[in-house]
Amino acid sequence: MNAPLPRDRASARRLRLPALGRATLALGLASLVLTLASVAAGYASFDVIAAAGDLVAGRESLPALVLSELRIPRALLGGLVGFSLGLTGAAMQGFLRNPLADPGILGISSAAALGAVIVFYGGFAASLSLALPLGGIAGAALAALLLIGLAARGSGTLGLILAGVGLSSLAGALTALALNLSPNPYAALEIVFWLMGSLADRSMDHVLLCLPLMALGWALMLSTSAALDALALGEDTAASLGFNLVSVRMRLIAGAALAVGSGVAVSGAIGFVGLVVPHLVRPLVGARPGASLLPSGFAGAVLVLAADLGVRLLATRPELKLGVVTALVGAPFLIVLLLRNRGRA
Amino acid sequence: MKTMLRRALALTVLTVCLPAPARAAGAGPERVVSMNLCSDELVLRLADRTQVAAVTYFARDPRGSTVAAEAAGLPVTRGLSEEIVALRPGLVIAGAFTTRVTVDLLKRTGFPLLELGVPADLDGVRAQIRQVAAALGQGERGEAMVAALDARLGRIQPSEKPLRALVMRPNAFTVAPGSLGDALIRAAGLVNISAEIGRDRFGQVPLEAAAFAGADLIVLDEDEPGRPSLADSLLQHPVLAAFRRQGRIVSIPNRLWTCPGPQVAEVVARLAEAARRMEGRP
Amino acid sequence: MILSAAGIGLDRDGRALLSDVSLGLERGRLVGLVGPNGAGKTTLLRVLAGLLPPRRGEVALDGVPLARLPREARARRIAALFQGAGVGWPLRVREIVALGRLPHRRAFSGLSPADAAAIARAMAATGVTALAERGEPTLSSGERMRVLLARALAVEAEWLLADEPITALDPAHQLDAMTLLRATARKGTGIVAVLHDLTLAARFCDRIVVMEAGRIVADGPPDRALTDARLAATFGVSVCRGRAADGTAYLLPWDRATTEDETDAASLYRTSPRPF
Repeated sequence: MNAPLPRDRASARRLRLPALGRATLALGLASLVLTLASVAAGYASFDVIAAAGDLVAGRESLPALVLSELRIPRALLGGLVGFSLGLTGAAMQGFLRNPLADPGILGISSAAALGAVIVFYGGFAASLSLALPLGGIAGAALAALLLIGLAARGSGTLGLILAGVGLSSLAGALTALALNLSPNPYAALEIVFWLMGSLADRSMDHVLLCLPLMALGWALMLSTSAALDALALGEDTAASLGFNLVSVRMRLIAGAALAVGSGVAVSGAIGFVGLVVPHLVRPLVGARPGASLLPSGFAGAVLVLAADLGVRLLATRPELKLGVVTALVGAPFLIVLLLRNRGRA
Repeated sequence: MKTMLRRALALTVLTVCLPAPARAAGAGPERVVSMNLCSDELVLRLADRTQVAAVTYFARDPRGSTVAAEAAGLPVTRGLSEEIVALRPGLVIAGAFTTRVTVDLLKRTGFPLLELGVPADLDGVRAQIRQVAAALGQGERGEAMVAALDARLGRIQPSEKPLRALVMRPNAFTVAPGSLGDALIRAAGLVNISAEIGRDRFGQVPLEAAAFAGADLIVLDEDEPGRPSLADSLLQHPVLAAFRRQGRIVSIPNRLWTCPGPQVAEVVARLAEAARRMEGRP
Repeated sequence: MILSAAGIGLDRDGRALLSDVSLGLERGRLVGLVGPNGAGKTTLLRVLAGLLPPRRGEVALDGVPLARLPREARARRIAALFQGAGVGWPLRVREIVALGRLPHRRAFSGLSPADAAAIARAMAATGVTALAERGEPTLSSGERMRVLLARALAVEAEWLLADEPITALDPAHQLDAMTLLRATARKGTGIVAVLHDLTLAARFCDRIVVMEAGRIVADGPPDRALTDARLAATFGVSVCRGRAADGTAYLLPWDRATTEDETDAASLYRTSPRPF
């Protein structure tokens, strides 16, 4: 009984670890390809290669300008925002041991939007360019703190989802209130569209603004990978395995807030990516929560980039909002999940 | 139940209306209430101040209104039927986009109501000025305003070359063909190229398409700074900034475009002037 | 090699959970922690594992207070198995057992050969090797319990604190698990197990600690800790005692004890005219 074990184990490990690596690599490559496709796709047809040549050579030309200030930022933001949403979804689901956790459903995105709206229409954004993402991050952090506090008090799946619904409505109402107090009478109209999420007409400034903050958030969340695995066995066991749960909790809150908050501040709220992606990734990499973080990030990037390509290639004008596309895919998915989960909730 | 309520409402309205102040014989209507920013502008310019009972609160905002100074000190409403009825108006002027429910209610209560259309060209503007002036009993002032408009238009030298112009409004809405904005561009001797790129109903143009549209002039429908808006942050985009450095941007504040009135001549003048500057360049 | 608690006190919302609990534990022995529901057994286990800092008193490992031991070092030396946590995700059995090696691994590194060997030993010892590739949701509750025990054993710590490790098992697997715990203790691990089955506790444990209302009320070898008087006073039961065929003494809770100070619902229940 004992003798064949080690070989058995070793062969299983050879199979399993590369499977995770292969999935991550494949998803990473897919995000790269879609980023390039996103650079190539757009409303105006021009020679992208020649424009890239102009850009590299430092020649000022209109195609080079459009490439560097419209196409490339849009593609990069698609990847960055998608990665943030996918990674955050996987991290939240792992931490809360709840397959329905998602920054959108739990109200983190709406709270981030509230923070950004207050900062923007309060006029702070003009004085400090970082104000907008910082506002988003503050809103997201408050929401994450509240939710994790609720989770710590033992709220189950349903309790958490209900809290998320409440938080979303509250954030939405406060956003509307902030808009009413804004000196701009058109603010409400603008925000209604902005909240549906879009990557249209963003510039490199947006990328530079959110990239460092997002990267910090990713690092914080990825650092909890082993702790998330241990948390599969419950908080007591995870603590007995040497994890400082207070630190894990804080890293996750800060990481989710940085990644989602700065993402929402530049792209608006793009829902359901964080919910759907970990479920798609798990069959590829196994159920270990820590193992699904990185592939979920890449899968999120793939999903958002594909959706953003879709809204540009579909012949609807004005352009379909990104959040509409992701909700069209994600909302039925959520309902199916809820139905399947009914017994366990 | 519903009918009873409606009757009760009608009765209330009637009782409120009965002691309406008597009109001065021969003069225009008293207690004029305007329900829309565009009618505010015409009413405040054409009517005697004593004729005006209330305008909208938009009229007081100098960033959106050309008559903020005239509106100061006058009562304002949010355009709710309750407020309007309480004012016992001698004439209500509403725009085509005023809430239909409110307008229907006012029609049923029997207050004199003038609904303004949306003019699509300069003749429409002239007609609307005359229409409002007549309703206010101020026909002469109306004729004077039309004459002033025509005089100002007459002094404008339209662009000689049919330069290509593209208007980018906040939220990237452009000026669709067949609208007043389109007519103003043509009056300045320019070609509105939004038709070439904006085949759709809403006239929203992606910045990328705008960049490659081959426009000689990009007309930014800019607000004055000081009011944060997402739309304005788009107008700060590096691609538009590059156009600005090339001197191909002309900005015309929103409030000049918004309503038909004598101020539209100013739009034509600025467009023509920008076009002449462009012609001077190689 | 001593895990000791001295004068532990803990209360929550004004209610004492633990009062003045002192305990010295040695490695190489299987200690059964018994007591009625709500006596504070799990709380004491969490305090001993260093997961719950006591309000008063202190827990020390070889004379070093747990609070001063680095978290990682403590995790390598004290393994803990808690009841009711389950597994949050459909992990495979091998992955679950491998979680026991987390305290031994550096961040972001894979399993070392030593880890793999420890995992294999723990799975073989609990008889779950054949389940290695099964997903957690497909396990019976007994299988799940054994897998979680394997996870705790895979830590290969000096100490193992287990909260009700045999509750969900069938009789055969209960006997297996108790035999395994005793054998593990014989090899040098110090084991504290919260148990409800007094028969198995008395038969397998080297030492029994009886708790009642947050205090230790008896502590010693089974025959001295689990006297008839103690069982009646603490558990409210009377027991049958006897000897098995091999001559080992056993005890069996048999009836509600009828002591004089018992005026509770149990006696009313028995005389109730209405059948339930």
